[in-house]
Amino acid sequence: MTTAAVPASAPKPLNRRLKGWPGWVLLLGVVVVALLIGSTRSTGPLTDADRLDGIAQRIACPECDGESVYESQSPAAANIRIQVASLIKQGTYSDDQIIAYVQTNFGTKTQLVPKATGFDAIVWALPVFAGVCAIGGLTVAFRRWKLAADTVPTEQDRTLVDDALREQDDGR
Amino acid sequence: MLAATVNGTLGHSVLLIGLVCATFGALATVYGIRTGDGRLLRSTQRYAFGVAGAGIAAFAVMERALIQRDFSLKYVQQVGSADTPFIFNITAIWSALEGSILLWLVILVGYTAVIARRFRKRLDDPLVAWALVVMFVVCIFFFVLTLGPADAFKAGPLGVTSGLGPNPLLQNHILVLFHPPILYLGYVGMTVPFAFAIAALITGRVGERWLTETRRFALFAWGFLTIGIILGGWWSYEVLGWSGVWGWDPVENASLLPWLTGTAYIHSVLVQERRGMLRVWNLTLLVSTFALTILGTFLTRSGVIKSVHAFSNGSIGPYLLGFFGVIAVVSLGLIAWRGDRLRSPGAIDSPMSREGAFLANNVLFTIFAFVVLLGTVFPLIVEALQNRTIKVGSPYFESLSVPFGLILLFLMAVAPVLPWRKASAELLRERLFWPAWGGVIALVVPLAFGATGFAALLAFGLGGFAAGAASRQLILATRRQGLRGLIGRANGGMVVHIGVIIVAVALVASTTYTHSSTLAMQVGQVKRYGGHTFELVEVQGFTTARSNGVRVQIKVDGGQAYAPAITTFTNFGSNIPTPSVRNGVLNDIYLTLDPGSKPGDTTASIKVFIKPLIIWLWIGGGLMVLGTALSGFPGKRRRLPTDPTSALIPSTDRPPRDDDAPASTASDERPSEEIVSV
Repeated sequence: MTTAAVPASAPKPLNRRLKGWPGWVLLLGVVVVALLIGSTRSTGPLTDADRLDGIAQRIACPECDGESVYESQSPAAANIRIQVASLIKQGTYSDDQIIAYVQTNFGTKTQLVPKATGFDAIVWALPVFAGVCAIGGLTVAFRRWKLAADTVPTEQDRTLVDDALREQDDGR
Repeated sequence: MLAATVNGTLGHSVLLIGLVCATFGALATVYGIRTGDGRLLRSTQRYAFGVAGAGIAAFAVMERALIQRDFSLKYVQQVGSADTPFIFNITAIWSALEGSILLWLVILVGYTAVIARRFRKRLDDPLVAWALVVMFVVCIFFFVLTLGPADAFKAGPLGVTSGLGPNPLLQNHILVLFHPPILYLGYVGMTVPFAFAIAALITGRVGERWLTETRRFALFAWGFLTIGIILGGWWSYEVLGWSGVWGWDPVENASLLPWLTGTAYIHSVLVQERRGMLRVWNLTLLVSTFALTILGTFLTRSGVIKSVHAFSNGSIGPYLLGFFGVIAVVSLGLIAWRGDRLRSPGAIDSPMSREGAFLANNVLFTIFAFVVLLGTVFPLIVEALQNRTIKVGSPYFESLSVPFGLILLFLMAVAPVLPWRKASAELLRERLFWPAWGGVIALVVPLAFGATGFAALLAFGLGGFAAGAASRQLILATRRQGLRGLIGRANGGMVVHIGVIIVAVALVASTTYTHSSTLAMQVGQVKRYGGHTFELVEVQGFTTARSNGVRVQIKVDGGQAYAPAITTFTNFGSNIPTPSVRNGVLNDIYLTLDPGSKPGDTTASIKVFIKPLIIWLWIGGGLMVLGTALSGFPGKRRRLPTDPTSALIPSTDRPPRDDDAPASTASDERPSEEIVSV
């Protein structure tokens, strides 16, 4: 079977044309607009129960083994939920104010997230440090590999490879 | 009393026999290797079978003791009860420390026997022999634990005629039968690739051969760990009553850590097989994965960390910590010793290559594992250094996991279409175009339905992008090979990717868009919430031999009645909520009963959660399992068995296609299962 030669000036197939830069620019535009709309429009009013859930997930149950007030079924957690619900019902406090109130009244045992100050800041700083090290390490490694790849093989290297390939072919 | 004597004595006896078999197995194998005695080495299979027989017998004896309610044993006093139903009496064996270690042991000895059987014709091969030595040594450690600090057959106080039974959370759902053993199959399975890694280091055969020996074992263990984690999420959802699947609890984190490093390994191992690179990295990942299983067990079983899942608090901690230290020192020492042989002959030419993407993926998984480990152990560090207690809860992990998740989704989109060596911009533009539009659709459709939030929408978009890339690979593979295009490591891996994407999208949707409300209702009253109606039909009491409680009947949308309950286990006195869930393709309706209701009441307070896409978590998990199984089948062979894995790929008779990208070879576009040896 013979294949007809395609003239160099022939138009590109539709699939190819779509995949050109205009198609990508259009795609990027749609993504940016969609993300802008999605991230700026209102989520609608939260119910008191939704707010209670959100706040309860940020408070540790003071008597439990690692559970938040949201997860725990213990009486202590139930008590805190009742108090938070009553503060939400008053409608005058923000979420952060309610959490601060709980921590004042129930102690630091209710703190579920380490502070970003003092010794506790380490738990926030180390992941960032690890990320920076990783990016730096990868950059150095790729640069080193690129330098190694740019090395031009000598005639001796080429002979060595040819011999090895010949040897392998003979072996088969 | 006679049965009691029999169970205790028999249990200790078989454990002792197992210890002796494992010790002699290890010593005989080392002696055989040193003297080159092939006959002796071939006989080590018997020791492995002896070890397996002893471990299985010990497990069986403990089950017998639980079934017989042999309350002369301290462990049965702790977890057994005359009232516990048969099925939960069987599962009671892994409901506390000593039995969990027995479960670990029985799976470990099983793997040891499988290795001895699988490699029975090569037992005189030093690589296999050393791997068996490592398995025997790990067995010795666990036999010592079961005879010492985690002795399940220890006699208890006399005169006890019943016990409390398992923790109420462990006798409340059938998943207790499946989740722990399956998780342990994955956890303990990581011992096998670790054993071969150590054997490769000892023998100096650090090439690619040992990887191929253990490829399926690593995949098998990873697959079970995946199933175990998913079942754990399902169990949490069905039992704990807070409607979540993952709480970043230390015990959950302990299972996630080896999964993260194991996932990194099953990607980076492809680079070593293909290019002979990342040898030290792969060894380190395998050692880390195994070491993390031990560290995780230490964290969750020693009592150093409090967790709702940590059903034990024994004196096992120093043993596990010591063993962890030995693993770390020996492994790192061996890697340093073999440093000269571990130098990679090649280089990664470009970050825009498949190996470059694998490396980036590995770095991400490793840093994420570090973050999870740091968050898990940070309270211990603070307590040790500053003598104060702090908590690191889910908000910390969730805030840090978002960027990792998004970058991983992006890598999952780009990596499958990348060729080895180097990709040009034109190639990427060509191959990523339609997958990227898949991402746009996945972004715009939820937006049209009212979805909000930058991170969630970006996750949907990247998920669609990644799903498009994985689907593209599968379509290409099935076009060429028919249904065979679905099997093999690369193609099965794409099925796993689709499963992961579905899980990720479902997790994002269910955590971002869950809504809830508390409905205070009277019997006969109908209330509306979230587009559904809820009618309280009745408030009932119930009593069983081990519990009593209150249950309400709620009609949803005028149809089927659902029955959330609160159960009080009389032996413990604690209230355990039992949610009732209406599953749906788009939303689950999750109902819990608030405390305070009494049988016969005419009012009740019901909490209703509307949780989007939850069912897709289990569907995605199922796809991950299916993909893992498909990956276990051999793909198409293209190499001679004697070819080194980094050998050139023979040319094929496929004519060039119009859409073959100029910057890649034909083989780059093919699923890599065709490229790597099997």
